[in-house]
Amino acid sequence: MASRLVQGQEGETGGRLADPPISYPIIPAGEQTVWADVSPLIASACNDLQDGQLIHGENFSLFAAMSALEIMDPKMDAGVEKCGYYSIEEAIENNVAPVPLSLNPTLDVQRVIDVIDHLFSCEATWYKGHTLAQTVFSCIYLLRIERTSSHALLHSYCRIMRATCNAVISVVSDSRTHEEEDLFTMAYGLPLKGEGDEKCLSILNSVEETISRQLRACKAQSLKKKQLEDIEPLQSNPDLEEGYCRALLCRLRFRKHYYLVLTSMKKPQGKGLELARKHVASCLSELTHITKSQEFLRALSYGFHQDDIQSSTTASGCRPIGFDASLNNRFSAPTPPRATHILSWKEAVSYFQKLLSDLDFVCSLNTDLVLDDVFCFIVQFQKPQPDLVARAHLQILLIQDGKLYGKEFFHDIISRELGLPELTKGKEHQKNEFIVQLGQLIINLLKILCANTAWQRRKLGKILQDWSVLSLQLEIAFKREIGETLNVMVDENMSTKVSKHLLRWTEERTYWIASRFLMLGFELELYSPYDYCMVYWFMYLVFMKLLEKIQLQTAANNENSQRKGKKKKDHGKDQIRDASFSSSTLLIHCYICLSEGLAMILAALRNESKAFHMVGPFNGEEERFIQHFDLLLKAHVPEHATYYLFKESTGHARISSIIKDNCFREAQKIITSLRGSYAGNSDKLIELQQLEQVAERNRVALSVIDQIGARDPSLTVSFEFTHHPHFAIAVIKRS
Amino acid sequence: MEEAESFSNPSFLQDVSTRASERSGSDESPAVAQLRKLLFRRILIGASDGRFFLGTFHCIDKQGNIILQDAVEYRHTRRSGDPSPMEQRCLGLILIPASCRTSCHAECSIDEQISLLSINK
Repeated sequence: MASRLVQGQEGETGGRLADPPISYPIIPAGEQTVWADVSPLIASACNDLQDGQLIHGENFSLFAAMSALEIMDPKMDAGVEKCGYYSIEEAIENNVAPVPLSLNPTLDVQRVIDVIDHLFSCEATWYKGHTLAQTVFSCIYLLRIERTSSHALLHSYCRIMRATCNAVISVVSDSRTHEEEDLFTMAYGLPLKGEGDEKCLSILNSVEETISRQLRACKAQSLKKKQLEDIEPLQSNPDLEEGYCRALLCRLRFRKHYYLVLTSMKKPQGKGLELARKHVASCLSELTHITKSQEFLRALSYGFHQDDIQSSTTASGCRPIGFDASLNNRFSAPTPPRATHILSWKEAVSYFQKLLSDLDFVCSLNTDLVLDDVFCFIVQFQKPQPDLVARAHLQILLIQDGKLYGKEFFHDIISRELGLPELTKGKEHQKNEFIVQLGQLIINLLKILCANTAWQRRKLGKILQDWSVLSLQLEIAFKREIGETLNVMVDENMSTKVSKHLLRWTEERTYWIASRFLMLGFELELYSPYDYCMVYWFMYLVFMKLLEKIQLQTAANNENSQRKGKKKKDHGKDQIRDASFSSSTLLIHCYICLSEGLAMILAALRNESKAFHMVGPFNGEEERFIQHFDLLLKAHVPEHATYYLFKESTGHARISSIIKDNCFREAQKIITSLRGSYAGNSDKLIELQQLEQVAERNRVALSVIDQIGARDPSLTVSFEFTHHPHFAIAVIKRS
Repeated sequence: MEEAESFSNPSFLQDVSTRASERSGSDESPAVAQLRKLLFRRILIGASDGRFFLGTFHCIDKQGNIILQDAVEYRHTRRSGDPSPMEQRCLGLILIPASCRTSCHAECSIDEQISLLSINK
C-alpha cells in the first residue's frame, strides 16, 4: 500500500518530523516506504563537510554534472512558475477564452476579427523563425479546438488554420531545409493532428456562403429592396452589418486561397503550379481588401484601449482575447523559449505580400528548363532573400524522389544535355559511375542553393572538394581512355566521349560554385575593405577559368553538330543554345573586366597611398588570404592561386597604368552588346543596369583619382555597394 | 575508481572529497556518513515556487546545492485550491540551488526513518 507524504508523525524518541510544505503534493512513495524529512540531516552534514568537498557516488563525473539544468535559472528552467495561469485548464476556467467571445453579437464579431488578425500576425512571426508554441499556438482556441464547435465562424477558422500549419510543416520537414535553428518544425505537445481536417475547406465555404448571403441581405435592405430570403444578420447593428460582413469575407477568402496555394503547389511534378498562381493572385487581392478594412475597424474601436497603428497586432488596434504564450513554455523542450516579439499587423501584411510574390516566382518555374537555366532560376529566386517557407517549396518542387521535378532521373538529364542522345538507348550509362556520382552532386547542389545565404555559402565551400575530386577522376579516366583508344577504331570510343563531356561540364560547374561562394561573401559582409583587393583578384581568376571551360564546351558542341551533319530543325535549337551560350559568355567577360578593374584600383591605391593596407597586431595579409580562400585552395580551384602570385600580379599596379588598360570601358562595351540579347528579360536587364552604373562610376572615379593623384593626402576613397551587391563603386571624398 | 574517472576528468578536476576518502573513511562525521548512505535513493525536493522534483540523489556540496538524476518535475495546474491536479515532466539531470530548496524528503523504510530521527536529535 503506497503511503503518502506523512504529516506531524511522532517518532519514538518524541521528535517531530518537520511540517511538510504548505502545498500538499500527492506524490506517493513506494510500497513499505515513507517520505522522511532529511533537511536537518543535510544541514548538519553540510556543516561538517570541508570546503570544496562533495558527497557523490562512483558514477559521478564533474564534467557531466556541468550539463545539469539549473532550477530557477530563467535560461535553463522552462517551468519556473511566474505570475499567470498555471495551466490551460486554469486559464479556461478563468474565462480567458470564452465561447462565444461575447454575448453581444456585434462585440462577438469584432472580437473574432481581432483573433483572426492576431493569428495572422502570429503566423507571420512563426514563418520568420520562432516556435509554433509561442506564436500561432499561443491561441487557447486552437489549443482546445473542440470547445469552439458551437461557434461556426471561429471553429471553421481554427480548423483551417490548423490544416494550414500542418501543410506548411510537412513541406518544410520534407525538404529538410536547414536553418541555423530548427525552431520552425518544433511542435511537441501541440494538438496539430485533427480528425477531419481535410474537410476544413468545405466547412469554411459554408460559413463564407452564409456571410455572403448576410451581406446581400443587408445591401438589399439598404436599397429598400424586398429581400429574397429571410436570413439572420451577422450581428445586431444594421449600420455596421455591411462593413463587418466585408471585413470577415476578405479574411475568410484569403485563408481559403492561401490553403489552396499550398495544396496546389504540393501536386507532384509541378502539375498544380498554374492553378497555384491563380490562387496567389486571389490572395493578394484579398489582402488589399483586408488592408482597406482597417479604417472601418479602427474607427469602431475608438474609445476602447487601442494600440498604436504601427505596433498593434490587429487591424482594430484592440488586444485580442484568448491568447497566452506563457502557457506553452513547458512545451518548448528542453530550454525555455526566447522572448518572442509578435510582428505588428501591418508588418504581417507586408510579410505575406512578399511571401506570396516569392511563391509566385516559384510557381513560374518552367519544368522544361535545361539544367543550367535551373541554376540561373534559383539564383534569381534567391535575390530578394526569400524566407524558409518559399525556399522549402522550391526545393520540394525541384527534387522529388531523386528526380528533377519528379519527372526525370538526373543521369538521363545529364546524358541529354551533354548532347549524347545515343547514350540513352542503352542502359549502360546508368552504371557509368561518374554519371551516377555527378547526379548525386547535382541533387546536393540544388538543395544547397535553396538554403539561406549563410548556410548556402558554408556548404558551397565544403562541396568544392567533392566537385574538384570528381573532375580529377574524370580527367584521369579521360586520359587513360585516350591512351587505350589509340589502338582501336577511328571513331571515338563512346565512353571516352562521355568522360570528355562530363569533365568539361563538371569543371564548368565547379568554377561556377567557386564564383558563387566568393560573391556571397559580399552579401554576407564577410570581407573587410582591406580584403576587397584579394577577393576581386581571386574572382578574376575564377571567372577566367569559368569562361575558358564554357568556351571549350561551346566549341565541343559545335564540333559535335558539324560532325553529325545535323538537319535544319536541329540547327535552330543549336542556334538558340549557342546564343544563350554567347550571352552568358559575354556576361562572364563583363564580370572579369569589373573584377580586374576593381582589384587593380585597390592594389594601386594600396601601393601608392598606403590606403587599404592593414597594419596591426592581428593576422597579416598572407594569413588573411589563406583564411578567406582556404576551401578554394584546398580544392585547387583554381590551381596555383597562391598568395605569391597575388603579390606578383598586384605589386606593381599604378593608377597611371590602369587607366591605359581601361577595364571599365571594356565592360561598358560588353554591356551595350548584351542589351539586345536580354531584351524582354526584365531580371537580366536590371542586372545589366546595375553593372552599367558600376562600370561608369568606377571609370569616372579612376580618372578623377588620376587627375588629383593617388598620393594626395586630401583624397579619401571608399568602396560602396550602392548599385550591385557584388561589385563595389569607388566613392571619392576630398577634405 | 579514481583511474576510471580520470579518463573523463582531467586530473585537476579531481575533487577534494575523493582525495579525502583516500586518506581515511573514518575521518567522516556520522552525519556525512549517514547522508552518503542516501546516495542513489529517491529524493523529493520542494522548490520555492511550489514545484516538486523527484529524482535519485546524485551529489551534494557544502553549500547544500543538490544534483538529482532522472528527475521528474511535479507542478500544480491551478494557482490555488487544495488539492489541485498535478502534472509532471521529465527533466533528467538537474541542479537545485540551496537557496530555492524549501523541503527535502528521502524515501526510506519505516525503520530507517526512526534511525534518521535519532540522528536529527
